[in-house]
Amino acid sequence: MEQKSPEGLVSTDPDRELYTIPNRSSWFQWDEIHETEKRELGEFFDGSSFSRNPRVYKEYRDFIINKYREDASRRLTFTEVRRSLVGDVGSIHRVFLFLDRWGLINFSTSDGDRAAAAGIDSGGGAFSVALEDGPPSTVKVVPSPNSSKGLSAQLAFGSKVVEAGSSFRLPPLTSYSDVFSQQTPLAGRVCGDCGEECISGYYESQSGIVICVKCFENERSGPGKRGEGYKFYDQKIDSAKHLANQWTDRETLSLLEAIVSKGPDWDLIANHVRRSRLDCIGKLIQLPFGEHMGTHGGKFDQRNSMSQQGGESVKCTLPDMFQQESGHESDDIAPESTGEPPRKRKPFPSLGDASDSLVEQVASLSALAGPHVASAAAEAVISALCEEHPFAKKVFTLGDDEIQDSDIYFASKCGPMSDLKVEDGENDEPSDELECKTGRSFSHSMFRINAATATAFGAVAARARLLADQEERQIECLMASIIDLQIKKMLHKMKHFGELESIMEEQYAQIQQLKEDILQEWIDISQRALSAGIPRWKDHGLPKSLPNRSSIT
Amino acid sequence: MRYLQSNASRAPIKFRMPTSENLVPIRLDIEVDGQRFKDAFTWNPSDPDSEVISFAKRTIKDLKLPPTFITHVAQSIQTQLAEFRSLEGQVMYCTEKIVVLKIDLRVNNTVIRDQFQWDLSNLDSDPEEFARTFCRDLNISDPEVGPAIAVAIREQLYEMAAQNVTSAREIRVAKKGRRVDQISNSKGAGNGLDLSKSFGSKASVIRKRKDWHLYGPMVDSLTNEEVGNIEAKEDRRSQ
Repeated sequence: MEQKSPEGLVSTDPDRELYTIPNRSSWFQWDEIHETEKRELGEFFDGSSFSRNPRVYKEYRDFIINKYREDASRRLTFTEVRRSLVGDVGSIHRVFLFLDRWGLINFSTSDGDRAAAAGIDSGGGAFSVALEDGPPSTVKVVPSPNSSKGLSAQLAFGSKVVEAGSSFRLPPLTSYSDVFSQQTPLAGRVCGDCGEECISGYYESQSGIVICVKCFENERSGPGKRGEGYKFYDQKIDSAKHLANQWTDRETLSLLEAIVSKGPDWDLIANHVRRSRLDCIGKLIQLPFGEHMGTHGGKFDQRNSMSQQGGESVKCTLPDMFQQESGHESDDIAPESTGEPPRKRKPFPSLGDASDSLVEQVASLSALAGPHVASAAAEAVISALCEEHPFAKKVFTLGDDEIQDSDIYFASKCGPMSDLKVEDGENDEPSDELECKTGRSFSHSMFRINAATATAFGAVAARARLLADQEERQIECLMASIIDLQIKKMLHKMKHFGELESIMEEQYAQIQQLKEDILQEWIDISQRALSAGIPRWKDHGLPKSLPNRSSIT
Repeated sequence: MRYLQSNASRAPIKFRMPTSENLVPIRLDIEVDGQRFKDAFTWNPSDPDSEVISFAKRTIKDLKLPPTFITHVAQSIQTQLAEFRSLEGQVMYCTEKIVVLKIDLRVNNTVIRDQFQWDLSNLDSDPEEFARTFCRDLNISDPEVGPAIAVAIREQLYEMAAQNVTSAREIRVAKKGRRVDQISNSKGAGNGLDLSKSFGSKASVIRKRKDWHLYGPMVDSLTNEEVGNIEAKEDRRSQ
């Protein structure tokens, strides 16, 4: 059989039903007989036979096609058709073959039928074609472990389930949102049984059904034995793989180094760490927050030593809110002593390392937002906090001097430090403060952390607002340019139309001129004819029609 | 009535089978020494006559029949070919004539009854193709059915063409063993469709629904016992 071309649709059927015919047969019209038909079935159109004429052809054709469309899924056979048609079976057969060849009939029937038919044709011998009526190969029937409960999971992760198509049935009373609402991408696998995210790991069957470890264990010990065909995935590994990046300590270190040395330029940092910009930022944000608060352990010491190896730029990692280190002072001084010019960013890695990610976050976010915005946010936050809690006020006012001090200190050291200093001051300061007032340290740090967090939020909000404004302006700008262009286009069109109009007018004038000329000529001729003595026009149409025309003009 | 005009203007041709391929149906029914050989096939009349003998030899050899059959077979074929050739010189007027052909055959275990219309003047018709389509459409697996149908069609066409040529005198075709002849003689032959009635501007070429079953094929498959009974009956009749 021929190669099937993309499908076209014929909708000329009175019932307005759509039938599929091949694109190559799009010439077909119910009301007309196309050249193709005349060419290929010439005997109906050469007038050589009384029983084969275009009308008969059309009747044959329409009947056969209609007959086929009574049930487009089965293959229409010639033998079935010919008993209903009067006329030479040979001619009918030719029409039938023609329609079949062009896909006007038997197009939707499966290839299997055609192949079988062809097999009989060529084989000629005893044939036994057994067509298996299995589901099509694309349909997979998914064994559902627990048909009612497993539903959401099946659907959630089921490109496979979608493939299962017809074999899949929604249970009654399932609403659309039940099934499809929670399908936000695979942040984590959702257990098919309990419906919770599989935190510790999950089992996946071959059919893509996910069950969390807990349910899996329950199920296996319970009555419904399964377990074979399920593969265990450790969620952590999986998620790490999913992120495609697990940060080693070394990488983290180099990231921090880069942040210190390269400043806020994330492209440079990303280059240094050999990760994408987003990865770096994400990692920085992900760095554990408050893990070491109050409990300073081996890890911290380790980091300390590492950082000291890592070079002077990271040396200032040590100061912790809760831990006094003798090296604190020297750390701050160290950069100067090595002669490296003070960097704007310097304080914030130190803070970042001290209390891990929160302060870093705040720092980086406020860096993003810009100094003025961040400082404004910080101020707002502090005042809000003060209002909220009288004690906070005390804390802040008490610490004020020191903040001022550290502000000045940093300002002198770092030049245009702006808002970060405020936070830095806040966060650095306890270290001094704690030395003497350990009792107060906890509440202190609480407020400070609150302040820092809130500052971060404020800064981010401001930043977002800025971005939004910018976008809006851009959109407006683009819209304006679009409108501008449209107007230009319209103007061009108008111009063209104007030109066209003038051309038309010109032509109209010419035509008028021509008409007058012709009329004049006619009058001349008729006058001459009269003078020559020809009695009358044989044709009455001309004299009659001309007055009409002239009246129009 | 331009169709009639064009019909009349159609040039007369020499007699031939009114099909695209000029193949003559040959039917053999020979009995020698209690053994009976029946067969039907088509023969190309333009083949040299020497072919007949070699064909007969090979066939008899293949079927492991006694060699006495060879002369009988060859003779029978020659006779039928000669009959055909005697007509070949005559002029055939190819007027359009749609006739009804009937098929009533038993091939091995398959019984086929069918009826359809055939245009005698359509020199592009192809009985073999028709028979192939028939078998394919009806899922007939027996490879002997198709050729049998084709030969049956050819025999009727041949007969009608011959009648057409020699309308004055009766042509004697070998009627032995021809199961179809009686019907086609009594009804089909010379019984062309009224063209102006069937294909005129008022008539529809869609057959009336109540007639559909008449023109549809009927296929039965018989059990071996039934076949045995029928063959015994046929033998008795022919004897």
